[in-house]
Amino acid sequence: MRRVVRVMVDAAALLAIAVFLVLSVVPEIATPVADATGSETPRALDSIRVHILERGTEETGAFNLVTAIYLGYRAYDTLGETIVLLLAVSGIVYLVGAKR
Amino acid sequence: MRKTDIIDVIARKLSPYILLFGFYLVAFGHRTPGGGFQGGVVMASGIILLALGRDPTVAMTAFPPAKLSIAEAASYILLLALGVAGVAVGGYFLENVLPPGFAVPRVGFVFALNIVIGIKVGAGVSLIALHLFREESG
Repeated sequence: MRRVVRVMVDAAALLAIAVFLVLSVVPEIATPVADATGSETPRALDSIRVHILERGTEETGAFNLVTAIYLGYRAYDTLGETIVLLLAVSGIVYLVGAKR
Repeated sequence: MRKTDIIDVIARKLSPYILLFGFYLVAFGHRTPGGGFQGGVVMASGIILLALGRDPTVAMTAFPPAKLSIAEAASYILLLALGVAGVAVGGYFLENVLPPGFAVPRVGFVFALNIVIGIKVGAGVSLIALHLFREESG
């Protein structure tokens, strides 16, 4: 049981490092910005806002536009947040969880 | 430290409903306010209430830390697998792999991400709290 836990947590941490290495070396597969900057509107921020308001639900499928942004367009940020939490958990387990 | 019966009873009766509300937030994250992170933290707060209102050992027998660790690591690996699936299909990392007009609606990808993140955050936050409480209770 303990060995299984250790192997799985090790695998998760190594995968986290590997994913970020690969994504930083190969920028083509990292999540791109929503392709609204190419439209005719001169101001990019306005066009992104209009794009998300008009086509966000259609492109991601989520009725909730907040969810459409943070899991549809910006899921990469959420992945980073979960990695922060994973590192916090492993730090806590390393510091106070080993004694038994 | 003495505890009154009121705290004991309320913690025991309220924590399952808090867990259920956390699952609701995770499962309806694509329609209503909520989502994986928020629902996961609400689930963890149910476990923390159980540990504080009753006893950390009670919460630890109901939610063993070893199994919470497995849930955390497995859901993280699943999240990465969902992300790599976008690359495998031919798009970019974490792209929505469900095409429009498929049998599964397109929101299914967001739903799956919400579920996986909810399990991961709930297990992680409650794991942190349970470890800290165990040290304090000696």
